[in-house]
Amino acid sequence: MKKGLVLLLLAALWLGACQRGAEPAGGGRQRIALVMKTANNPFFIEMQKGAEEAAKRLGVELVVQAAEREVDVEKQMQIVENLIQTRVAALCVTPSGSREIVPAIDKANRANIPVVIVDTRVDAKALSESGGKIATFIGSDNYEGGKVAGEFLAKHLNGKGKVAVLEGIPGHETGDSRLRGFRDALKATPGVEIVASQTANWERDQGFNVFQNILQSHPDVSAVFACSDLMALGAVEAIAAAKKTGQIAVVGFDALAEARDAVRQGSMVGTVAQSPDRMGALAVENAVKLLKGEQVNAEFVVPIKLITRENLGQ
Amino acid sequence: MTDAPVLEMHEIRKTFPGVVALDGVDFQLRRGEVHILLGENGAGKSTLMKILSGAYQKSAGRVTLDGAEVEIKNPAHAQALGISTIYQEFNLVPHLSIGENIFLGREPRGWPGFIDRRAVNRQAAEVLGRLGLKLDPRRPVRGLRVAEQQMVEVAKALSLDARVLIMDEPTAALAEHEIKDLFAAIRGLKAKGVSVVYISHRMEELFEIGDRVTVLRDGRSVGTFDVAATNKFELIRLMVNRDLTELFPKERVERGEEVLRVENLTTRRGLDGVSFSLHQGEVLGIAGLLGAGRTELARAIFGLDKLERGTVRIKGRERRIGSPRAAINSGLGFLTEDRKAQGLVLPLSVKDNLCLPSVDKFTTLGLVDSKRERRAADRYVKELRIRTPGLDQKVVYLSGGNQQKVVLSKWLCSEAEVFIFDEPTRGVDVGAKAEIYQLMNRLAASGVAIVMISSELPEILGMSDRILVMRAGRIACEFSSEEATQEKILECALGE
Amino acid sequence: MRARGIELPSGFFSHYARQLGTLSGLLGLCVVLWALTPHFLTVSNLLNVADQAAIIAIVAVGMTFVIITGGIDLSVGSVLAFAGVVMASALHAGVPVPVALAVALGTGLFCGLVNGALITVGRLPPFIATLGMMSVARGTALMFTEGRPVSGFSGGFRSLATGELLGVPVSVVIMVGVYALAHVVLTRTKLGRYTYAIGGNEEAALLSGVNVKFYKASVYGLSGMLSGLAAVLLTARLNSAQPIAGMMYELDAIAATVIGGTSLLGGEGTVLGTFIGALIMAVLRNGLNLLGVPSFVQQVVIGSVIIAAVLIDMWLKRRSG
Repeated sequence: MKKGLVLLLLAALWLGACQRGAEPAGGGRQRIALVMKTANNPFFIEMQKGAEEAAKRLGVELVVQAAEREVDVEKQMQIVENLIQTRVAALCVTPSGSREIVPAIDKANRANIPVVIVDTRVDAKALSESGGKIATFIGSDNYEGGKVAGEFLAKHLNGKGKVAVLEGIPGHETGDSRLRGFRDALKATPGVEIVASQTANWERDQGFNVFQNILQSHPDVSAVFACSDLMALGAVEAIAAAKKTGQIAVVGFDALAEARDAVRQGSMVGTVAQSPDRMGALAVENAVKLLKGEQVNAEFVVPIKLITRENLGQ
Repeated sequence: MTDAPVLEMHEIRKTFPGVVALDGVDFQLRRGEVHILLGENGAGKSTLMKILSGAYQKSAGRVTLDGAEVEIKNPAHAQALGISTIYQEFNLVPHLSIGENIFLGREPRGWPGFIDRRAVNRQAAEVLGRLGLKLDPRRPVRGLRVAEQQMVEVAKALSLDARVLIMDEPTAALAEHEIKDLFAAIRGLKAKGVSVVYISHRMEELFEIGDRVTVLRDGRSVGTFDVAATNKFELIRLMVNRDLTELFPKERVERGEEVLRVENLTTRRGLDGVSFSLHQGEVLGIAGLLGAGRTELARAIFGLDKLERGTVRIKGRERRIGSPRAAINSGLGFLTEDRKAQGLVLPLSVKDNLCLPSVDKFTTLGLVDSKRERRAADRYVKELRIRTPGLDQKVVYLSGGNQQKVVLSKWLCSEAEVFIFDEPTRGVDVGAKAEIYQLMNRLAASGVAIVMISSELPEILGMSDRILVMRAGRIACEFSSEEATQEKILECALGE
Repeated sequence: MRARGIELPSGFFSHYARQLGTLSGLLGLCVVLWALTPHFLTVSNLLNVADQAAIIAIVAVGMTFVIITGGIDLSVGSVLAFAGVVMASALHAGVPVPVALAVALGTGLFCGLVNGALITVGRLPPFIATLGMMSVARGTALMFTEGRPVSGFSGGFRSLATGELLGVPVSVVIMVGVYALAHVVLTRTKLGRYTYAIGGNEEAALLSGVNVKFYKASVYGLSGMLSGLAAVLLTARLNSAQPIAGMMYELDAIAATVIGGTSLLGGEGTVLGTFIGALIMAVLRNGLNLLGVPSFVQQVVIGSVIIAAVLIDMWLKRRSG
């Protein structure tokens, strides 16, 4: 029996080890880790691609890890701890929780591993309280993105209409900032009113359900802003199910390939592009710079761009 | 009845790792006979029949059916060969109707492939009719009595055109008059040329229904006899290889003071004003048909069912018994009818089962003193001669008789003064039965009072000092052991 | 069949043998990892693994008790989140640390006892009762915090996660303490004995004078309380109590319990087995991270190990039974 279990585990691990990616365990090359929120969201898949290309270009080994679920802060912490044990040279992280990531940063600091934060900002107060340090932040300005989306919608509705909002998970810096930006933008146009604002927890199926429910209570909404494209695409389906395609303007965030298609076909009117691949690449490039002892900026803002039917081809 | 053997088993051997269960058994079954298979638990009866029903594969030997050698591969194969088995635990689906159960898996189909319900019911009614049963095939099995469920099993076997029917302890859960119905059905099968292998512990049945009997002992066949040419005592001697001078070794004990008096017990589950008293050293037999309220009486005294009215006095003091805990603290012990479902925690050890009601006694400062527990358990294992490899053996691995002794020890250990036995020897072989009766004698002699509920009239007559007969939740008659006879008890139980 | 010819292994021995099986599985796993990566077998990594195992391991103790009674507790993760945010709010309100700890344990205990009452007095199947509690506790935690995490605590509180005792993380010390205590309770006390008896045969236990309702409810209370304790450690570790914390922990805890040889049918199991089960899960996750195995493959490996462990356990049981 002992033999059986050992053999099985061996087989399982061997299978795992074989899957480690194309690169052989790097001899003298430096290892950089990218810890994402999850590996099953198109946004992060694009980020991973960008990072992998940059790593190839710069000749470093890249380890990509992620928790099974986007919000699992404890799993992410464990991954960071375990990577510290393997003595990675640098750590790039997209925090699952803005505050919850701080203890992990502390641990990396203690192990003298530079930390590059990507996409989601770390809570400044929590970081300063713990005395933790990050090398640089790479991300786009989510607040600005929300604002751009709000201004666009206000114009699109000609300054009048009822709007619904699909929020991300409360307490997430990215979602909160996008939401704030969007709300602030609408303050300038009193005719546009937010009649419903509910969370769909970043998920597509929940986007569908929540928006379907909103349609029940507010059949007269003329636009919806979703804090991510996945939720927006869920809402698009709900609109189609209600046979209202084209009557409700949908604006998403992230500019996923599928969302771009939706904009092209007219089921969405816009999506805010954040260029996650660019973020991934910048993260690796900056990590390499840090390892060479070069100075890096405290912050890199990847520009925001609103994608609409008009500028889609560009 | 013809003498042509429909089935023959030659030199059957079956070994399990470390055990020889069958060691060259010969067995012949004639067409249209009822052949009794007799033997102590562990003698190999069930193993032999499991080989026949395809549940086990024999290690060596030959099986011939109508003169042709067959290899019975699995239960489905056995059924296809015309060998059907009715187990002690029925294989019926409770929510399905009688008809659906009879034709389960081979339902008549109508167009376009749906089950033809009408054909199911018509054919089922026909099969039931052949057994002389007036059951509505549309009734769900769930609501049937045990005896009726068994009849459904028989009907199922009949509908499969069984030539050989194996019945494992078919009367274990039946009341007297239900047994009569079953026997009538078996005689009907015989007349149609079906051969029946009948496993039972009950001697009385053997003489009533059997044609021939084969006795097994320690995995060997001791002999096959015509029932008419043998007698009970000879068979018992062959089974256990020793003389049981008397089956019921009842010893009279001087009656002591009154320990239990119940008055006017009434419960929602069907007790209707039951009163009686019980003295030290006395064995009070409680007879009655299934559903007469015997088990309900035990449950009420033991605090399992809420009393609507009535009082329980123990040694003259009135006690409020609202839970089994309270009953145990008042000195009661309850040996339930269904040992496995109610009496024992099968995955636990002999020691843990034995000490379960008395854990408090062995607990000091919140910790259970397992040394003291072991000492106590060891004492009872030795005193009652419980056959177990050790105190840590799980009770699930013990034989029926030894399991019953563990239950008994449990109450000895809790120092119970009133023992309620509900069907104390059900599913226990003759040797162990005698031992249990002797233990009852010893208990009575030590001043314990015993309530014995039993469906076996010989046991009631043989062991009781006094007999109460219950009917419809009431005590219908009371007999002293001298005046009681089977006929009187049955008459009273049936209310005729 | 005749059993008297051979000496079947006694209950004690087979239990012990089964744990040895699980233990050798753990050791085998360690050997494999040691061969594959130099980072595994270091003191700091092993302490790291123990630290990571602590939270699930503590939840799994309660789960083990519940499963031995033949039940299941699906609410542990949600109760953990609820107890965490209640305690965090108490800390923010200026309550001293020991009182806040009592608040966490008390909140967990309360939820557990509600489960117990639903199951015993309400006669709900444990699956349904705790499924309901799973949603109620989660929702209450979200309502209580308006969905936002409660973060930022004093160093004194955080030392429960960051502190060390003779070089060993405090969380590991607490975990070991909980297991030692649980082992004694399960093997040496009335509660433990009754836990097995109820799971082995509830009816027989009742007829042997066991107050089944009381002890069953107690076991669910214990499970809730241990979820509260796990909430303390998780909150200290992340310096934040999230209303969405602990999702799917029930499944990890069940997995650890089952890998440890506890039967979902009840009546059998040990906390030592569960301990080893929790360590196997943690070592596996750690090892897969160390090896840089992609996260999708990790899930496949973890699932396969759970299935393999239970298959082997069942096979062993059949052989010894």
